[in-house]
Amino acid sequence: MWKSYLTSAFRSFKNNRGFAAINILGLALGLTAFLLIIFYVSDELSYDRFNTKADRIYRVNEDLKFGNNEVFYAVSMAPLAQALKEDFPEVENAVRLKNAWSARIKKGDVTIRENKLAFADPSLFQVFTLPMIEGNAVTALKEPNTVVLTESTARKYFNSTQVLGRTLLFDDHLNYKVTGVIRDLPKTSHFNFDFFLSMSSLEESRENKWLRSNFSTYVLLKEGADVKQFEGALNGFLQRHSGAEVQAELKMTYSSFEKSGNYFRLNLIPLKDIHLKSNRTGELGPNSTVQYVYIFSAIAFFILLIACVNFMNLATARSANRAKEVGVRKVLGSSRSYLIAQFLTESILVTFMAAVLAFGAALFLLPLFNQLSGKEMAVSAQSFIWLLPLFIGLVLLIGVSAGAYPAFFLSAFQPIQVLKGKLSTGFKASGLRNFLVVFQFSISIFLIIGTLVIYKQLNYIRTKNLGYNRDQVVIVQNSYELNDQAKLFKQEVKRLPGVLNATLTGYLPTSNWHNTAMFYKDASLDSKRSLFPETWGVDEDYIDALGMTMASGRSFSKDMLTDSSGIIINESAAKFLDLKEPLNKTLFKSNGGERTESNTKAYHIIGVVKDFNFSSLRDNIGPVVLFLDANNGALSIRVKTTDLKKVMAQIEQTWKSISPNVPISVSFMDQDFDATYRSEQRIGRLFILFTTLAISIACLGLFGLAAFAAEQRSKEIGIRKILGASVPVIVRMLSVDFLKLVVLAIVIASPLAWFLMYKWLQDFAYRVQIQWWIIAIAGIAALLIAFLTISFQSVKAALSNPVKSLRSE
Amino acid sequence: MLSLQHLSKYYQAGGNKTFVLNDLSLDVDEGEFVSIMGPSGSGKSTLLNIIGLLDEPSEGYHYFAGEAVHLLKEKQRSAMSRGYMGYVFQAYHLIDELTVYENIETPLIYQNIKGSERKALVADILDRFNIVGKKDLFPSQLSGGQQQLVGIARALIAKPKLLLADEPTGNLNSKQGDEIMELFLKLNREDGVTIIQVTHSEKNAEYGNRIINLLDGKIESSRVLNHQ
Repeated sequence: MWKSYLTSAFRSFKNNRGFAAINILGLALGLTAFLLIIFYVSDELSYDRFNTKADRIYRVNEDLKFGNNEVFYAVSMAPLAQALKEDFPEVENAVRLKNAWSARIKKGDVTIRENKLAFADPSLFQVFTLPMIEGNAVTALKEPNTVVLTESTARKYFNSTQVLGRTLLFDDHLNYKVTGVIRDLPKTSHFNFDFFLSMSSLEESRENKWLRSNFSTYVLLKEGADVKQFEGALNGFLQRHSGAEVQAELKMTYSSFEKSGNYFRLNLIPLKDIHLKSNRTGELGPNSTVQYVYIFSAIAFFILLIACVNFMNLATARSANRAKEVGVRKVLGSSRSYLIAQFLTESILVTFMAAVLAFGAALFLLPLFNQLSGKEMAVSAQSFIWLLPLFIGLVLLIGVSAGAYPAFFLSAFQPIQVLKGKLSTGFKASGLRNFLVVFQFSISIFLIIGTLVIYKQLNYIRTKNLGYNRDQVVIVQNSYELNDQAKLFKQEVKRLPGVLNATLTGYLPTSNWHNTAMFYKDASLDSKRSLFPETWGVDEDYIDALGMTMASGRSFSKDMLTDSSGIIINESAAKFLDLKEPLNKTLFKSNGGERTESNTKAYHIIGVVKDFNFSSLRDNIGPVVLFLDANNGALSIRVKTTDLKKVMAQIEQTWKSISPNVPISVSFMDQDFDATYRSEQRIGRLFILFTTLAISIACLGLFGLAAFAAEQRSKEIGIRKILGASVPVIVRMLSVDFLKLVVLAIVIASPLAWFLMYKWLQDFAYRVQIQWWIIAIAGIAALLIAFLTISFQSVKAALSNPVKSLRSE
Repeated sequence: MLSLQHLSKYYQAGGNKTFVLNDLSLDVDEGEFVSIMGPSGSGKSTLLNIIGLLDEPSEGYHYFAGEAVHLLKEKQRSAMSRGYMGYVFQAYHLIDELTVYENIETPLIYQNIKGSERKALVADILDRFNIVGKKDLFPSQLSGGQQQLVGIARALIAKPKLLLADEPTGNLNSKQGDEIMELFLKLNREDGVTIIQVTHSEKNAEYGNRIINLLDGKIESSRVLNHQ
């Protein structure tokens, strides 16, 4: 029985190679895309799940509202971890991590700059699953100046993992003893460090300050602990511990602080949610958003749907040809269930072949896809544990669902009518097939519009006037290592030919430096009339060197001694403070400690700088206050030259003359900016890729259908030609039927796409408008693609010799 | 073996009934070779389809092999047709994707006959019809006469009680047609196969032992032939 099904299925493919190829290829293409997206999505969803206790690990977040400002931190206070352990029996363990940003480490004679370092409590290895190869997981990070390395870092510095007790020289003066080697962190960890330094090495970690937040704090709850109850108790806990400090610093009780509309709260986020759902200030690394997971899952589903629809469509279209076989088989005694089984077998067989092709293609394309998506996914023997069931499941699901309609449709033929040839006109009549074509093209048009909007938005971000000029700015990232000589370095660099200006500060629109402080409109420090801006210490060249524009007032000047108490605010700060004419107004800032008037400092506003963008373009520009300060974090050099190499060499030369032993670390501001949007760029590229695929698959289906329609109507075409119809008339006749469906698809998809893309754009503070021509372009593109696809077949049919098509009857 | 009583087949068109078969009664005994003749539209094929259980009458009584067919359900009718009927068509209706061997084998598969037994049966009939050499060819590689031979072989493979043939020679030239008719005659006489055929050709009709003439859905005349 099965053998008979299979042979007739195989022979039927052989006799209809073209259709079979379109069928299998279309499905394989769809499945490949589907699989790649599944890889991507499952990778995104697998973050931090390698931790065996992942279900019980939470990060403590901090929300703060003071005056007009709301801040959401991923970091919390230094004493928090210990206090949680002491106060709550349900806390099994807690660990703090603090980014150490960067260090120079000696390897023999060479100094290497490392950027993936963090301070960590010894409990790190009890909370997270970071298996140790060498060393004792309990004691490894107890002592000050000890470090745990990842396996590959150990090999990099010592060519071995047996390195316990060896030392590494940090920044030319600090020796860290290696007390452990762990396996490299999985790529699917939301933090990614090569060096874990003992937290005890850090003085700040012992401070008992509850109003300063610098540590990522993770708690491991006991099994069966009530998370909700624990989280609910956090705010009372915080009040107990920080009340005294609030009283001292803000001169109000905790309750009056809250009564005036402010808040200061702790909350929890499950470890497994951090990668996709957390976008707070002070994350340990860039996270993704769950939105993209949804979008891509939807695209994967749609692509698969389009491919299945193709399959169904071609199968039902071919049904007229298969009808005779069905009729004969019925007359010979086949029951309906046999026929259904036969067609389902056929459909599963095609799906199987397509799936084999698709799995092969997906594995083959994975490295390329990794490049495009910025991931490092790999298929191991282990992945087959879930790939194999997925494979079988997909084949059965698609095979049955795509084959079901043709199977039931074909098997329901009345044998007598079929054998009398009454069903040969069946092609035009199928409303379902028309519906499916409309459905496919609706999705395609939806994706075209989506892609255009996303592409436009990404382009807008890249080219938007940011309020500063990021081109031709060279940033020396480690000028702080010159200490007092940084100023000298700046002076010398400014003298170089090709250098327009330079500014010495770590606070840049493209940097991660953040500092905030409270400013008040009144000397009484009334929090209702306050501002909680970013406070950036800069030098007098800042505005000019970065190409910012003053809205009013002036920039800092070396010649004005009073500028040490002058500040420049940005437009949004002026708006926040509700200052119509901010120039020469005074703002007050507490010096900390006792809050008396003598302990406040008055600043007068000397200028207002036009808003410039310093965080993600997803967010609105927050208030910024610039003040004069000797910050030597980085030196940003504006150059104007056609020979960048030469200028760079000269800058490096200048550096060497001041500090021959420390290597210079340089970046370009525009590249730093692009890095911020790299994930968006990648998403955009992926989107374009998958849209193209979806449209190709839909066109493949249309191509098949058009071919079939032409074949079905070859007799009609022959007769019409003999009666005098010209080629264009016939092409039009054959094309119009399909193009009508595409037009209908445009009508359906456009409003839907417009609405959803409008929603997506709301996420961006700076966004493009969806213009009517985007929809027009998408519509015309779809029509054009469809027309080209169809006309190939139509023209072929129209040009064929009528005698030939008529003779066969 | 077959008895049709007051059988009618009509289509409702508006208020009018259009009769294809009109109050027709017919009995066929086992071992008969009946030829049905008549002009186009006289209801020949409809009658044959009803006899073959491929179509249902609108009214009337239908007995076959002792069963009241008009009382049977679709499934039972289909089982009955599988067991008792063999069909031969004007356009052969072989399955293009299957070889001669596989085409002949197909009815046996649907009757759940075991592989080894199928092999023996097909080999036997290929031998009887002298088409062993063609068993691996596809229908498109055969002449019309050969295709019809395969069609008949396929119709007979499951040893039906009744062979129904709808203009079996309609697509063949006269020489091929004669051969098929000789075969029918032989099957009827030597193997005792009951045959009902529809034909336009007087000459072919006379191979049978009874000729029934239909006109407007009724039996116009019926004559028994006496071959020696």
